Amino acid sequence: MFKRILSLGTVLVLLLGVSVAQGAEKKVAIKFFTGKVETVEWMNDLIKKFHAENPGIVVEQEYQKDASNVIKVKFASGDIPDITTVWDQGFADQGKYLDLSKETRWWSRVQPSIRELCTDLRSGKQFRIATNMTMAGIFYNKKIFSELGLKEATTWEEFKNNLKKIKQKRPDVVPMFVGGKDSWMLGHLIEFMAHGAVKQKYGTMGSRKAFLNNDAEKLAFDASGGPMETFAKRILELKEEGLFNNDFLTATYDNQLEAFATGKAAVISQGMWALSGILEKNKAIKDNIGFAPYPPIMDGTKPVILSAEDSAYLIPAESKHKEEAKKFLDFLFRPENLKAYSEFLKAPSAFTDVNADWGPLKDEVAKALKKGVNIGFTTEAPPGFSGDDAGRMVQELYTGRYKTPAEFAKAYKAAWDRAWNAARR
Amino acid sequence: MVTLSRRIGANLHKFMALPAVILFGVFFVYPLLRGIGLSLTDWNGISAPRFIGLRNFVDFFRDDRALNDVKNTVLFALGSAPLLNIFGLLYALLLDRNFRGKSLARTIVYLPAIISPLIMGYIWYFILQPERGFLHKVLESLNVSFLGDNWLASGNTALAVLVLVNVWQYVGMTMVIYLAGLQSIPVEMFEASKIDGAGYFVTLRYVTLPLLAPAIKINVVTNIIGSLSVFEVIMALTEGGPGYSTESLSIYIMRMCYGNFTGYSTAVAIILFFIILLPVVTYLRLAKSREVEI
Repeated sequence: MFKRILSLGTVLVLLLGVSVAQGAEKKVAIKFFTGKVETVEWMNDLIKKFHAENPGIVVEQEYQKDASNVIKVKFASGDIPDITTVWDQGFADQGKYLDLSKETRWWSRVQPSIRELCTDLRSGKQFRIATNMTMAGIFYNKKIFSELGLKEATTWEEFKNNLKKIKQKRPDVVPMFVGGKDSWMLGHLIEFMAHGAVKQKYGTMGSRKAFLNNDAEKLAFDASGGPMETFAKRILELKEEGLFNNDFLTATYDNQLEAFATGKAAVISQGMWALSGILEKNKAIKDNIGFAPYPPIMDGTKPVILSAEDSAYLIPAESKHKEEAKKFLDFLFRPENLKAYSEFLKAPSAFTDVNADWGPLKDEVAKALKKGVNIGFTTEAPPGFSGDDAGRMVQELYTGRYKTPAEFAKAYKAAWDRAWNAARR
Repeated sequence: MVTLSRRIGANLHKFMALPAVILFGVFFVYPLLRGIGLSLTDWNGISAPRFIGLRNFVDFFRDDRALNDVKNTVLFALGSAPLLNIFGLLYALLLDRNFRGKSLARTIVYLPAIISPLIMGYIWYFILQPERGFLHKVLESLNVSFLGDNWLASGNTALAVLVLVNVWQYVGMTMVIYLAGLQSIPVEMFEASKIDGAGYFVTLRYVTLPLLAPAIKINVVTNIIGSLSVFEVIMALTEGGPGYSTESLSIYIMRMCYGNFTGYSTAVAIILFFIILLPVVTYLRLAKSREVEI
């Protein structure tokens, strides 16, 4: 009798356990896939708050350094995230992202210019919504500039002469520091300086269309005296004059920030995303950071400054938990959360109802935006030709792989075309 | 009934092998066949694959970057595989002797092999980095800092550094296999050789090395395979750069796969398979004929 009762009891406990487990499984787990390393910890804290308010939803954040590539594997293998920060024109063309155009509760709060930048040119829809804006340009050490009587450059010659004077008068300082091992930074030089020439010539929408359709005439990648050839010439000029750091090819992003923060580098090319890293290394440099547009590389053009969308969020069309994903984004987009996010990221908010004191460069950036032509990222670049790939070509240029700037320009066009054709299959 | 149980008994080993066969089929045969199929398509990883025959293979031999990567991979293997075997054998011969601290010495040599190659690559990066690496600081203190500059900034020197780091990391693994081989040689063989008046080098040439043939075979084959499929150490130290000057075929395959050339990357993977197969088969044939002679 005792054994029977014991058996019955055991069965009941097991059944109870199973039903409890099933109850627990009713929680919906949403996968948040990000490539933004700088926001991982902040986002984890936000997720904890979200969980407290939404006990039925579990948000699992996954960060991958190579997110733009890893997501391809995820899509191909059916491991679809519910929210991602990774945009890829090819996926948009294939209908892999959910159309967010009708989410008026969000868009009514977003600055129109950011909405425009978030619009997919091919379909006219908004698949992504950006919470912030970011800027990139020339960071310079104001103290060194003032010591040497230098002014922000508005032409290429002025820019080069500034660097030459720093080299001459302050041999202990690197005139322009580049962390060329991290090829994305070299890719950014192309993105802002070379593509920047195309972007300012044809305007935001005109240039986006030219990149999207690979309009060879407008892009003029292999044209003699075109943006790519001129860019290569400019890089080689600075190299020959010894105006870069000796370890141009082996220094990292972190080395660059360190050199600038400690006053060992006078000029760097960076975006607002680098600001918290610089201040982390040396808070005291806060008042000595100057910010200016990139000098024009081609005669007859103006300085350019990146002013683009940042921290864009997308929901894949195949997500099984779209509503829960939207619920999480609703939570993220609350003004108090976006204010905290902007202040953490040191980037202005794209939402009109968020008033964040986002950083010490606030006034510098406002001035710089008026001095240069505002350009965006090349979001329409073919997915098989990333900023890293472009950066590796600059590494090759620096090592002397290309005999002439024209050869570099030709190789760049060939690589671009190959990726563009592959994406159009 | 008896017949049935006998039949089952006689075929039991086949049933026992079934799980392994299924796993082999699912994780090896199927991906292999699927890979061969995809290598004949223009799949970009997103759209539906389209059959294009052997075009990917033709494209490979027209691609300068791919051919450069073949050169890098082969050069890396030519440097790495022999050095691993030579130093592995030397360490094994040295550490097979009896002396105080033998176990500690073996552990020190073997230790790098158990550390992740990626972490090892990063450690070496911080040692070798020009201007601010540990080695630079040491050389600077000796007033010879020019010796440590830019090893990773030029394709040729960077490749040599990669070979040395790889050898340093895996020599312990090779040593362990040689040590096992040395310890399996009967002591009588060495005693007989000694009685016959043979010195150390004669014994090494005519007794030790011939009897180490199985260990040599394992080491040569695994080192060829490992060196030709090198990935992690390059990713950690140079990321295949500057430019693509130290990019290996494995890295090229990954980048092509992610870069919307998925079908093409599968074709390159098949080519790499044959690049590895060729020296391995050649060596195994040579070793077999040599074993027959012995």
